[in-house]
Amino acid sequence: MVAEVVAAVITDVELMKASQIGMKAIGAGLAVGITGIASGLAEMAIGSAAVGATAENKDVFGLVLLLTVIPETIVIFGLVVALLLIF
Amino acid sequence: MLKPEQMSKLLIVASKDQMAPVVTELYRHNLFHIEDYVEAGAEGYDGFKIGTPLLGATEASGDLVKIRAIQNAFSIRSEDFEVKQRHKQSGLQVLIERELPAIEQEVEGLTVKRSKLETKEKEHEQKIAELTPFIGIPVDLDLYRGYLRFVVFAGYVAHEVSITVPNEMFFTKGKAGNFIIVIAPVEHRNEVERVLQEAAYQAVTIPDESGVPQERVSYYSSQITLIKKEIEDINQKLDAIKEKHASFLVACEEILKVQVEQTEAPLRFATTNETFVAEGWVPSASVETLSQALVKSTRGKIFVTVLPTDSEHDIVPVEYNNPSFAKPTQMLMDVYSRPKYSELDPTLMLSIVFPLFFGLILGDVGYGLILLAMCLGLRKFLKGEEGTQLLTVLRNASFSSIIFGLLYSEFLGFELPWSPIMFSRHLKIGSGEAGGHGPQIPELMILAIWIGLLHITLGRVLGMINHARQDHGDHRIKAVMANFGWICVMWGILMVIWSIVKMPYMPDFTTLPSIVSGVNIAAVVGAVMLIAGVVFIARDSGLELVELPTIISHVLSYARIVAVGLSSVAIAMVVNFIAIGMLISPQLENLTLVGVIFIIMGVAVFLIGHALNTALGILGGGLHSIRLHYVEFFTKFYKGGGKKYSPFGLNRRFTED
Repeated sequence: MVAEVVAAVITDVELMKASQIGMKAIGAGLAVGITGIASGLAEMAIGSAAVGATAENKDVFGLVLLLTVIPETIVIFGLVVALLLIF
Repeated sequence: MLKPEQMSKLLIVASKDQMAPVVTELYRHNLFHIEDYVEAGAEGYDGFKIGTPLLGATEASGDLVKIRAIQNAFSIRSEDFEVKQRHKQSGLQVLIERELPAIEQEVEGLTVKRSKLETKEKEHEQKIAELTPFIGIPVDLDLYRGYLRFVVFAGYVAHEVSITVPNEMFFTKGKAGNFIIVIAPVEHRNEVERVLQEAAYQAVTIPDESGVPQERVSYYSSQITLIKKEIEDINQKLDAIKEKHASFLVACEEILKVQVEQTEAPLRFATTNETFVAEGWVPSASVETLSQALVKSTRGKIFVTVLPTDSEHDIVPVEYNNPSFAKPTQMLMDVYSRPKYSELDPTLMLSIVFPLFFGLILGDVGYGLILLAMCLGLRKFLKGEEGTQLLTVLRNASFSSIIFGLLYSEFLGFELPWSPIMFSRHLKIGSGEAGGHGPQIPELMILAIWIGLLHITLGRVLGMINHARQDHGDHRIKAVMANFGWICVMWGILMVIWSIVKMPYMPDFTTLPSIVSGVNIAAVVGAVMLIAGVVFIARDSGLELVELPTIISHVLSYARIVAVGLSSVAIAMVVNFIAIGMLISPQLENLTLVGVIFIIMGVAVFLIGHALNTALGILGGGLHSIRLHYVEFFTKFYKGGGKKYSPFGLNRRFTED
């Protein structure tokens, strides 16, 4: 009887652990995914403006390439959070 | 080092008859950065006028325009042109007069003929486009016009129509839409028009041709083929001329450019009736050489002196002064902005720290070697100065990448035979079993944060130096103290954090005895630093306080060194797992015909995956390292906006005296 209860508790605990790991993974996925979309949205406008600027003056290519990657910070923070969640 | 080349302001005065030798001498030395004389309101220049070009300026410019037109037609760019032999200037001069007109005429004749043929080709294509709808109608083209009592409609409609009045109608369905021809008596014109309008009728011009449409189309097609052949012939002829004369043309362009620049130099000088005055900048080290050369070339009939530099009003041109290994990095500085004359030149720091960041991000022996091979290989194709500089910067970065790869023990995502000497970045992808060392993410993060803290502190210290140098009076102290305040706030926050949380590889102040209500000495010191810092910043500019949160975001931004690096490790390991773990190695155990296909697929995945990851890694590693400099580091101290030192002269490549 006692043994059964203990076994049940242990399986419960294991299940909870497993679900916690799963939740962490989902959280990490959301962190990267949503911030990725946000970076994409931000880069969209900059990128199109950058292409226009480069078409007018090729010299600004280096600069606008740089401006385009500035919103990438958002997804990098997402990635950092995800990594910290998982490890 | 850390300072641009020191410049002196040189004043040259001589009589006008010495203008030509002086200009030639200045040009030859390629040292004198001319300050263009502007007539309006220059102090001490009352009564001076802008000079007039020397003899031969018009002819030289005329010839230069011709040569550039020819070069354009041939799309020869002298920057990309390889120097095979150097032409003698005197010989070339004769050739320009004798051969240039002939070449010009020939090229112009051919290009005009070519553009005529191209126009004709377009016309024929247009005709074919007009004729195409009529191909499906079995009627001669003559039959569409010339009627007095009939009216002809031709065009596209949305659907088939039925017309009640007497008419003759052809209807075909095609790719472009439903094509319809209606011939009706003139008196029923309105009725037909109405019906057609209801079917969204779009009229088409009836081609002014005779005969069967199909035959006409094939006639024009054959004409186009002929024209294309003729254009091809002309292109071949032009190629032959290009082959023959290209080296002559670039040499001519260079010589004429030299002539034009020299003869037009007086337009940048101030002159009176008998004399001229030139002002400009010369690197201080070369003042003596240049002055002596000028005196010698004019046999002493010249006055050369160094004027005092007025740091408030003079805009001194800036020439980098860096050790040779740091020179290529100047390109990355120019992308941002050239330093001002009075400013610290951070090129040297950039040239050391950029490769370090790059290596920390893309620390992989395999990718490092690929990048190194690419840099060495591309050297043949990228000819311009900037291209070569970029390749050298990337080459240095690839060395750093290889070294960090050895430390991280990584080769295309595989582990090298030793354990990572630095922190491990090996993710557990595909391995499944427990044990072994996983990635040391928290340690790596702390490392990145430390780099950020030190880098930003360095930036602020440089900011203090810059303000101490550039500013004057009351503002100077305030600006220096404000930069110090930023350092105080940053380290103050850190002290408070350290007194609360224990972190690996960071000082631990949590165990210090508490003073007041559980707050320990470190926290108190931190709080004092924070408040003092805020006060210092506010004294310089209250508005700056809005920027306080950037302290945290900028430091955290350095986490990208780890994050971007780990993402490239992850991609590499996933590629390896899919290619080898999932596709290749299960098949190798028991080889079948299908297995061979799987293995080929595995190899393809491996190659494509790593090619993609190399591109991403170089782009990510390079852009994020440079961004950390531009956004996080430079904003702390660097303004830029210096004027480029462009001396009067030219490094000749194709010609010699």
